[in-house]
Amino acid sequence: MEKRLIKKDTLAGIAKKMAGDMMVWAPVKKEDNVLFETIGKDGEPFFAYLNSKNAPKNVFFPHTETLMKFTRTPKGMAFSSEANKANQSVLFGVRPCDAHSFALLDKLFDQEKYQDAYYVAKRQNTTVIAMACVKPPYASCFCTSVDGEPVGSEGADILLTDIGGDYLAEFITSKGEKLAQYFGDAKADAAADAKKAEIAAKAKEAIQSRIPAHEVKPILDVNFDNPFWNTIHGKCLACGTCTYMCPTCHCFDISDEVKGADGIRLRSWDSCMFPLFTKETSGHNPRPSQKERWRQRAMHKFKYYVDNFNAIACVGCGRCVMSCPVNIDIRKVVEDISKL
Amino acid sequence: MQNPYIPYPVVVDKIITEVDTKDIKTFRFKFVNPEDEQKYAYIPGQFGELSIYGKGESPIGIASSPTQKGYVEFTVQKAGVVTSALHEMEEGTLMGLRGPLGNSWPLEFLEGKNIVIVGGGFAFTTLRSLINYMIYGDNRKRFGNITVIYGARNPGLLLYKDELIEWQKRDDLNINVTVDKGDATWKGKEGFVPAVCKEVAPSKENAVAVICGPPVMIRFTLPVFFELGFSKENIITSLEMRMKCGIGKCGRCNVGSKYVCKDGPVFSLAELDKLTPEY
Repeated sequence: MEKRLIKKDTLAGIAKKMAGDMMVWAPVKKEDNVLFETIGKDGEPFFAYLNSKNAPKNVFFPHTETLMKFTRTPKGMAFSSEANKANQSVLFGVRPCDAHSFALLDKLFDQEKYQDAYYVAKRQNTTVIAMACVKPPYASCFCTSVDGEPVGSEGADILLTDIGGDYLAEFITSKGEKLAQYFGDAKADAAADAKKAEIAAKAKEAIQSRIPAHEVKPILDVNFDNPFWNTIHGKCLACGTCTYMCPTCHCFDISDEVKGADGIRLRSWDSCMFPLFTKETSGHNPRPSQKERWRQRAMHKFKYYVDNFNAIACVGCGRCVMSCPVNIDIRKVVEDISKL
Repeated sequence: MQNPYIPYPVVVDKIITEVDTKDIKTFRFKFVNPEDEQKYAYIPGQFGELSIYGKGESPIGIASSPTQKGYVEFTVQKAGVVTSALHEMEEGTLMGLRGPLGNSWPLEFLEGKNIVIVGGGFAFTTLRSLINYMIYGDNRKRFGNITVIYGARNPGLLLYKDELIEWQKRDDLNINVTVDKGDATWKGKEGFVPAVCKEVAPSKENAVAVICGPPVMIRFTLPVFFELGFSKENIITSLEMRMKCGIGKCGRCNVGSKYVCKDGPVFSLAELDKLTPEY
C-alpha cells in the first residue's frame, strides 16, 4: 500500500488544489454547523472539526434528486431524458464512521440485480478521503460496537491519520492511489506506521459508549410481539430527524412535478417514522402507530439488514442520539432489547 | 445495463370496462419500441409499475398471460391519483411501464400437480394470467386437473366475463363462478367463496391451492383448505403493500426482512408463517 507523510498545514492547500481540477466536497463552517459542501479552489475547508452536522450520504444519495425528465407531446406526457449526472469528485475529510456508511449503502444500492444507476455513478466517480478520529469527537460515539473503528478505513479510498506533526496518508484503494500526486512525495516510514498503530489503539480504547449491537440480533429474531415495543415510542414526535441525520437510512419517495409542458420525476428522502410512509390507497396501514414504526426502525438496523446483508445498518456516529428532540437514545433501546 | 427506474414507453391500445360500476377497467398496452416487448418477458404473478408522467406510478399485477403476444394487460381499479388519471385516459395515449417486477406464481412447483385456483372480486387479475398460461396449447399437459373457484359480490362485478364463458365450454377445466347475490338474469351459483370451496371440496392429493382475494375472503377460505388437508406449503397467495421503487430499495414494503416487491409478492403460507405479520 502506498503511504505518504504530509505536513499538517498543507492539508487545506491539497483540498483546494484538487478543487481546481475536480469537484471537491469538504467540511465548511456554516453558521454554527460544519457541513460537507462543494468548495472551489478559493474555498475554505475547515478540518479542525468534530463531525459534520449532517451525514455526508447526500453526496451519493441527495436529499432530492431528479431521476428523469418528461415532456408534453400531442399524445400525452412522454419520457424525454434520463437525468444521471456524476462529476469526477472527491469527498475530502469524512470521519471513518461516515465512510463506513458508504460500504453499507453499497450493499443495497450496488446489487447485481437492480443496480441503482444514480447512486452507483456517483460512488464510482467519487474518491472518499477519510480523516481518522484520533480522539473520539463525542461522548455519544459508539462506532466500535457496530464494526467500526475511530481510525478505520472501511469505505474509504484514502485514510488520513494525524500522527503528531504530520498526517499519515494511506492509499487504500487504486482509486485513492490515482490522487497520490496531490500528496507530495514524502514516503512514510515504519516509524509512522508504528505511531499510527499506537494512536489507533488508544483511540479505540477511548470510545467509552458501548452497546450490545451484535447480541440483540437473536433476541430481535423472536421478539417481534414483545410488549417492550410499547415502551419506546410514547414521546416520539414522528419528526423523522433520526432518519434524516442517519448515514445509513436510505428510504425514499418518488414523486412527479410538472411546470408548463415539462416535468421531472424526483426521488427524495422519506422516513419510516412518518404515518404516510406505508399507508395504502385503501386506507389500510400495516404500521398504524408509532409503535410499529419504531419497531421497524430498530428491526431494520439490527435485524433485517443483518438478515439481508450480514451487516448492522448503524455506524455509531451518534447523530440520532444528539438530534432527537425528545432524547430517544438508540443506545438505550439496544441495551433494553439485550435484556429481553 | 437497463436503468430499472426508467419506464418503457407504451401506448394505451385498448380499454375494456370490466364491471357495471365502471371503476374497474382492463388496459391493454403496446410497446412503442417493439424490441421492448422481449425485454418485458414476464411470468404470471409478476407486476409492473404503471407510470403516468406528471402523476406518478402505481404497482399493478399483470393480468395478461405471456402466451398473449404483442401486448400486456393490466386490470385496474380506480382508487388513487395514478389509477384515477389512468381511468381518464383515451386509447392512443402515451405512458410508461416498468418491470416486470417481483417473483411470480411458482410455475415449476405447480407443474405436474392438480391446481386449485381461488379468486375473489378484483384480486382475480394475476390468477387470470396464470389460468390463461396453463391452458394455452401444449402448456395444458404440464398441469393436472385445474379447478377454478371465482366469486364476486354480484354478476356485474365479475371480471373477464367473456373469458369465463369460454373457459366453461372447455372439458379440461372445472370452472365454478359464484356471486354473493345474483340478479334476475343470473343462472349461476350463489354463495360466498369459502362456502363454494367447501362444496367443490377439491382433493388435496398432489394439489396446490393458489388463493387471492380480499382479506375477509382469505380469512374464511383458509380454514376450508386446512380442513381439506392442504398443507401450508401447498397454499400459495400474493401480498400487496404500498410500493414506490419496486426493486427493494425505497424501504417501505418490507414484511420482516423480505421486500414484497422484490422477494414477493407471491409467498406460500409456510413462508408467510416465518415472516412477521405486518401486512
